[in-house]
Amino acid sequence: MKRTLFCLVYLVFLIPLLHSQIINKMPLSERITGYRMDVRLDTDAKTVTGNMEAFWVNRSADTVPDIRMHLYMNAFRSNKTTFHKRWGHKETGDSPGEKDLDRGWIGIRSIEDNNGTDLIPAMEYISPDDGNTDDRTVVRVLLPEPAKPGDTVFVRIDFETKLPSRIIRTGYCGDFYFVAQWFPKFGVYEPAGMRYSTTGGWNCHQFHSTSEFYSDHSVYDVTITLPAEYITGSGGKLISENVAGELKTQVFRAEDIVDFAWTAWPGYAVYNDTWNHVNITLLIPKDRIRQVERQFIAVKRALEYLTENVGPYPWPHLTFVDPPAKGSGAGGMEYTTLFTSASSYFMPSWFHMPEMVTVHEFGHAYFMGILASNEFEEPWLDEGVNSYWEERIMDHYYGSNSGLLNNRLLKIPDITYSRLAYVMSPSRQAVSNKEHSWNYPHGTYSMMSYLKTATWLHTLTGIVGEETMNNIFREYYRKWAFKHPSGKDFVNVVNEVVKREHGDDFGPDMNWFFDQTLYGTGICDYRVSGIQNLKHRRSFSNAGSDDTAENESSESDSLYTSIAQLERTGDLMFPVDVLIRFTDGGEILEKWDGKERFKDYVYTGKREIEWVKIDPEFRIRMDVNYINNSMTTERKRAPLHRLANKMLSFVQFCLSFML
Amino acid sequence: MNIFSALKSGFSRTLRSRRGVLIVWLSMFILVLVFIYPLRSSLSSAFGRSMITEKLADGFDIEVFADLGSTLKSLFSFFTAGFMFVWFIGFVMNAFLTAGLFGSVRKESGRFSSREFFRAGLKNFWSFLIITVIITLITDFLSILIVGIPVAMVSLSETISEKSAFTAGIVAIIVFLLLIPVSHLVADYARAWKAANENGSGFRAIGFGFSRTFSKFWSSYIMMVLLIVAQILLGILILLVLPAWKPLTGGGVFLLLIISQLMLYARLLLKTWRYASVTSLMEDIQPAETGNL
Repeated sequence: MKRTLFCLVYLVFLIPLLHSQIINKMPLSERITGYRMDVRLDTDAKTVTGNMEAFWVNRSADTVPDIRMHLYMNAFRSNKTTFHKRWGHKETGDSPGEKDLDRGWIGIRSIEDNNGTDLIPAMEYISPDDGNTDDRTVVRVLLPEPAKPGDTVFVRIDFETKLPSRIIRTGYCGDFYFVAQWFPKFGVYEPAGMRYSTTGGWNCHQFHSTSEFYSDHSVYDVTITLPAEYITGSGGKLISENVAGELKTQVFRAEDIVDFAWTAWPGYAVYNDTWNHVNITLLIPKDRIRQVERQFIAVKRALEYLTENVGPYPWPHLTFVDPPAKGSGAGGMEYTTLFTSASSYFMPSWFHMPEMVTVHEFGHAYFMGILASNEFEEPWLDEGVNSYWEERIMDHYYGSNSGLLNNRLLKIPDITYSRLAYVMSPSRQAVSNKEHSWNYPHGTYSMMSYLKTATWLHTLTGIVGEETMNNIFREYYRKWAFKHPSGKDFVNVVNEVVKREHGDDFGPDMNWFFDQTLYGTGICDYRVSGIQNLKHRRSFSNAGSDDTAENESSESDSLYTSIAQLERTGDLMFPVDVLIRFTDGGEILEKWDGKERFKDYVYTGKREIEWVKIDPEFRIRMDVNYINNSMTTERKRAPLHRLANKMLSFVQFCLSFML
Repeated sequence: MNIFSALKSGFSRTLRSRRGVLIVWLSMFILVLVFIYPLRSSLSSAFGRSMITEKLADGFDIEVFADLGSTLKSLFSFFTAGFMFVWFIGFVMNAFLTAGLFGSVRKESGRFSSREFFRAGLKNFWSFLIITVIITLITDFLSILIVGIPVAMVSLSETISEKSAFTAGIVAIIVFLLLIPVSHLVADYARAWKAANENGSGFRAIGFGFSRTFSKFWSSYIMMVLLIVAQILLGILILLVLPAWKPLTGGGVFLLLIISQLMLYARLLLKTWRYASVTSLMEDIQPAETGNL
């Protein structure tokens, strides 16, 4: 009877419901997986308990013997999990907390297939990344019968999730809840030929402190029951709400997103706004009303810029959360149609940190949400690409010199941040960008996956131009939206678009660029090593001269052989402009392929070289030292002297505060 | 003596001691210059003949300095260590120079005499140092007690709203700022008393400072607030003018130096006005009161 009932639910109810269209007119993705959950938040026990009906469709040509699911919340079970060992930055691991109420975990109470077969005996915890037997963040379930091509595997799971007290992305603090990474979630089955797979298999990594996402686009129908006074927000659209006594039950629907998270807190104020077809909801602490307008402006600017330069935002809804201070650990995270920002009650308008976080986290709706790359294995394709767009957006709307900070005394563009972090890092050559997220040496993950990537993407922009870069991303979006692109797919798109727009100007393809930046560990450093102006004793004819201005000076008395001496001290080679200015005010712009170790530009004529600048417009953001990119024959002392004078006055001013 | 008479008297005494103020300014200028000059040379050497300094035309550019790499770390270490050193030496020098200034703003002092200035500085140096150290420590302790601890408590609280926490922080800061004139009064009365009683100890002077401050509290307090407001206004002017002024030529940079030093000299004059006004108020009471605590 029970088996029959499940079959009936599966066939008649779940599959049609999950494939139906409530939000968008047409499915945006293949919908290989889908989830229907009915859960209850227990605010005393700090648990989310309920059941889940989920399916996975075997779209491969393989016969698959098992399924694999993430049990992310088990990362907070103890200090021996892979997550906490890494997060703590010490051998013993960081502790999720001493008390039972501090820890987080997820327990599967029962799991059955569509025939009602108990799959608990077929379940085992595995640790595919590091073999850590104390880590229970991935579970493998052997199917009673292997899934043949085209089969749909249906599971019904009763689960209990205990939320951790220390909010690291997810958990609770007092009456604040941010419920993310909270339910059993399918990994991605990759058939041979998909991304880097040579044979079919599950791609289901453990929960690492450095990365979160790789999932199929799914449909979520989620019913949440919780105390009525709680205000909620989620990645789904609120379909219905029913209040019964002290409890309320809300039903959310989300389509074609890679993860479903939600939050609940009685202290939220809810604000709504719209941008074109998108209804935007902001959940923010009630006393942060002054941040509301700037948050909406930021998210609308991000929507506008990414729609124009990458592709449309396809969902009609978007929710973002500005968590209270006690829940700040949930800030700065992304769940496609739900993301979290970060601000505070008092935040000066010149400090664009809230806007920056909002723009960045919204950007993940594209880079990981729509273009669902594997963040575990290629974090640069998610965080790095997104950082690049964040910097462009911030500097576009908030000032090219003040995207991050716009104070009278100090202005910092957002683009500067990534380059500085990369340039100043002593570990900038420790590892290449092509690493799995958990393999980055300590302290290098953010610098490499976010900042180095953004820096070389800006360098690529400097080489091929901004419009070509926009076209690259438009094509990337067109080809790979709601799929799983890999790094090589992105490189292929770059090669295709650059070839189409620039022919062979940069060679037959752009692999030379990615070999150096994405796959390489070298640094880029061009320098002007010298300027020589050699005066000839008497005039001579202009034979052999390559300076056009010299033609006018054949009758003059003073002739010079002027040499601009350039050097490539780094390993990386990029085409660079070289601007040379002469004493008569004339300038020559040379195009250097940047390959030779040493390069001299020699001019013979009436004029001397006054200064030389390599990359005068600072397009090669990978160059680790802009100071040696230029040289002048006459020092410009005024700016430094001015600075020294101001430092002198500043220190005197400080001393004058003594009693 | 009422507040305005004290201020007026203090002003004329300050003008009389302008050369003393000049000595204070020059001493501090030389002290800081000894620290800044090598830093300027190091910066100049680090940038060499690079044209990147053009990017400083519009003001400080963090990217320009970041590219100095390990040189930046050395410069930063030098600046930090140098600043601490200058602060320490400046603190000690300040005790000496302030002793000279308090000596020169007394009613009995006639025309300013450099010799008398240095003699007073030497004579009262240790007492002034003790007074400065103790009052500074008391002020620091009060800042922790009034601002640090309450702000830390409300920040860590999970139940207090952000607005309440922010308001509590602001209130704590305002309370602390309202106490600043009191600590200044205690220090200034103590030093004025010490300047008039060269044989008295620094601790006795502090005792007098407290007693005098609270015996004539409101008149003293209001006068001190007015003087501090004048200093703050000048400070704001300095902060508005100097960072915004970005000359690009050698002549302009030299003019910046002159103007900035004039402003700093004016700031020292205002501080001396404070010393002189407090001294005037103190001298307005019976000699027995001032001489024998």
